[in-house]
Amino acid sequence: MIVGQLSRDTFRALLVGSGLRVKAGPFNLSIRTRLPYLADQLHRMYAHYALMDEAEIAEFHVQVISKRSIRRPFAQLIQFEVDGRSPFPPVPAEQALATLEWGINLAIAMRINHLLLFHSAAVERNGHVLLLPAWPGSGKTTLCTALIHRGYRLFSDEFGLMDPQSGNFFPLPRLMPLKNQSIKVIRDYLPEAVLGPEIPGTLKGTVAHVRPPQESIERSDESAKARWIVFPKWSANASLQLEPLPQSEAFLLLASNAVNYEVLGETAFDAVTSLVRNCECRKLVYSGFDSALAALDELTDD
Amino acid sequence: MTDFRADHHRLLLEAIIQPTSLTGYSNPQWELLLRLARRVKLLGYLAARLEKEELLDRIPVRAANLLRSALIQARKQQQSVGWELNRVMWALDDPDLPIIVLKGMAYLLQDLPNAAGRIFADLDLLVPKESLARIEASLLKKGWQHHALTDYDERYYREWSHEIPALVHPERGVEVDVHHTLSSPLGKLNIDPLLFREAAVKAKDTAVYVLSPEDMVLHCAVNLFQNNELADDLRHLLDFNEMLLFFSDQQPDFQQKLIGRANQLGLGNPLFYSLYFSRVLLRSPISVHLEKQLDQQPGWIARRAMHHCVPLALLPQHPDHPSRKTKCARVWLYWRSHWLRMPLYRLLPHLAYKFYLSVFPGKAKTSKQK
Repeated sequence: MIVGQLSRDTFRALLVGSGLRVKAGPFNLSIRTRLPYLADQLHRMYAHYALMDEAEIAEFHVQVISKRSIRRPFAQLIQFEVDGRSPFPPVPAEQALATLEWGINLAIAMRINHLLLFHSAAVERNGHVLLLPAWPGSGKTTLCTALIHRGYRLFSDEFGLMDPQSGNFFPLPRLMPLKNQSIKVIRDYLPEAVLGPEIPGTLKGTVAHVRPPQESIERSDESAKARWIVFPKWSANASLQLEPLPQSEAFLLLASNAVNYEVLGETAFDAVTSLVRNCECRKLVYSGFDSALAALDELTDD
Repeated sequence: MTDFRADHHRLLLEAIIQPTSLTGYSNPQWELLLRLARRVKLLGYLAARLEKEELLDRIPVRAANLLRSALIQARKQQQSVGWELNRVMWALDDPDLPIIVLKGMAYLLQDLPNAAGRIFADLDLLVPKESLARIEASLLKKGWQHHALTDYDERYYREWSHEIPALVHPERGVEVDVHHTLSSPLGKLNIDPLLFREAAVKAKDTAVYVLSPEDMVLHCAVNLFQNNELADDLRHLLDFNEMLLFFSDQQPDFQQKLIGRANQLGLGNPLFYSLYFSRVLLRSPISVHLEKQLDQQPGWIARRAMHHCVPLALLPQHPDHPSRKTKCARVWLYWRSHWLRMPLYRLLPHLAYKFYLSVFPGKAKTSKQK
């Protein structure tokens, strides 16, 4: 059963009642909210997600509640809660979807240590993972969006989840928040992409989410090993460069990029070492999608 | 009938008292247990016990993953606080200065059973009051900093508290709490820190000291029933109970020494409650006659009120069905803890100010940033 097969009323009833229990890659989420507009947004954006097996354990219990402020009695505010705790202050109600998505990411980042968490986009082609770690101003979400509409399978635009022992990466296909100018860029380049509402005024400016393709969600149990690591950097009017990166440099970039590298300590050191040794590491500078996609296709061709 | 017999409380207590029973938990029971244990910071504790019994592979994978994650986190924090202690000793560079390590780090140094998987993020130290200024100056000179504090908080710490404002080294982020006594100097308990310092013992393999076994157990009781507000504080009762049983195993006369020490220091009330609730909630095999030997014991009315309220505070709320009764109990205990720490003429303005800040968080005046 997937969310899209539920009627809008059934879907809302779940969110209001015992919780919408959906599978997100290796995790199960329970989501609750009484906000009707958030329910409608989720019904459309989560359409491809499978409901989790009822007999299973849900790891994350989140809810979005409306909030009153004594200081601003007429403002419509909402707050995100994970297991009854609020990691963020209340925000205007129209930011509910963005806050929910960020809140879930934060909960994953705070709680999960049995996997190494790279702050990185990850996609799969020809059975292997291409890792695109964030690098300031990289536009990893934008590039990731382009890739998954051009034959790559989405693992995640935010977390490279790696089992430190086996080296396997796990898909965690979630909504991908495009920010500011990227929204128009993607609308122009990929008219077929399904976007959520534009949400202005967030901490990161205006945000609009890309719905993950159905196939990526359906195949989210299929893990894979990484074979390529590309550090992308968007630079206006730059000509395309895809250059080898020394393993030592790639190691340092990845170690400082992993969210829980320090917490895992020696385990993380060994895992990143073997990851870098088993991957082709590149640095990508690009300004246009066509040439970047062509270069990445060539890199990941069988 | 108190609420600690609620199903979710029983589920949590059973897991703590008898971790081997966890292999029989159903998935829905696990899901609730994980949420409850996280709320009271006991995921690492459960994980450490299951790991010791080699049961982590015999429980549902999703539960094991969350427990392992918590244990990894707890071990990292323990390592960080241990390293912070090393850096503090290096910065102070004074072998004659007696530094007494308290709470989590002390349990770890002494390798006590309750230290396994215990989640703690701060380093707590007890030093002579006359050395406070010198220690603070040395640490500030070597790079530690105070958080930006409001003028009010600064004054609260300096004049009314048993510790100075926390010191944090910006490269490491571990809070160092330097205490000069063990409870608020304005409070109803008059604790002489000198008696604790004189009885302190050298910690295993280090240059620092820890409290003697009796004092360590008493300090835990004082924290629970004098310094803390008790909300979600079950783990401190567990600390108390595990240390009590561990030391009783090692020294046959430990419990008598503990009672004698409590009587000497005038700490009968907190010890009474700690023994009582260890027995009621954790089924601790302590004789009911033990606390009868205390010179100080709470009166009948206080005892009834605490019997009903304390379990509701120590044990977590049901995450999906919070009860109003529990909220009232917690509010009462919050007032009680402040009442014990401050005389009324200080308490009322203090709580009024806290309430004002909760409504207008922007209004606090910040003292100059360091």
